[in-house]
Amino acid sequence: MASRLARSTVRQVKPLLSIDQGEARKRVLNLYKAWYRQIPYIVVDYDLPKSKEQCRQKLREEFEKHRHVQDIRTVDMLVIKGQMELKETVEIWKQKHGLMAYWRDSVEPRPKDFLSKFLDGHE
Amino acid sequence: MALRLSTSLLSQLSRVGRLQGRAVSTSAVRYVDDLTVKQVEPKDTKSILASEEVQHQKAISGYITIDTPVDITPISGVPEEHIKTRRVVIKLPSKNAMQWRLFFDERERWENPLMGWSSTADPLSNIQVDFSSQEDAIAFCDKNGWEWTVVDPPVKPPRVKNYGANFSWNKRTRRSTK
Repeated sequence: MASRLARSTVRQVKPLLSIDQGEARKRVLNLYKAWYRQIPYIVVDYDLPKSKEQCRQKLREEFEKHRHVQDIRTVDMLVIKGQMELKETVEIWKQKHGLMAYWRDSVEPRPKDFLSKFLDGHE
Repeated sequence: MALRLSTSLLSQLSRVGRLQGRAVSTSAVRYVDDLTVKQVEPKDTKSILASEEVQHQKAISGYITIDTPVDITPISGVPEEHIKTRRVVIKLPSKNAMQWRLFFDERERWENPLMGWSSTADPLSNIQVDFSSQEDAIAFCDKNGWEWTVVDPPVKPPRVKNYGANFSWNKRTRRSTK
């Protein structure tokens, strides 16, 4: 059995958009600002049952989720995806429930006791 | 007197002739190109772009140096429960296999009551990815955030095969059932 190695070596890779950490960071902040400024319009356009503050809090959460990401290329790809998402939202290619999905718990709690497991069809 | 008249007439005539060819300006101020000031030379697009954009374009087409581990889990779209909770065994599927293969831990399976076929709710159950080297397989698992274990093929001591052993008194090589 081989043991786990710390696999972070200095190497040459193809960049995606940014050539250094600072530029990637700038792109992330730009995207954040674009979303932040768009939120009042999004709330009105989609008639969301959420306030501006709640949306901004959720925006912050979504960005904080990827705070740990270090790879410049991964950051760039996340920025690209974020831009696509923003475009889709602004152009109203999405629907209300598509935006409300940000507030939905992604994990359905697994049944614990015997009867609910049985009813759920597991084990 | 006559001469004066004629000159003024002439000048008036010539003025009229000039007016026909030109637009009449109603402003009291005349603007003349100041030839003492050097005009700005029109720049070609190449030299304007050469400053930043072209440099960035050049840098993008090359390579960058990074020292962070590759991690595609935030962008791969794989659900979190299939990243954090999965275990992968990397091993050779058979004795003389040339390829290393990933084996995911077993998840829930059941027999379908209709036809009796086996069913599974595990999206990774039927994945068969072969790698030519163990390192490639490890790199793939690291990139996808899976915990991996490498199982090396068991090393058996080579079997002694000589003719004399067939007649040995203390080795079980003589079979009565032959």
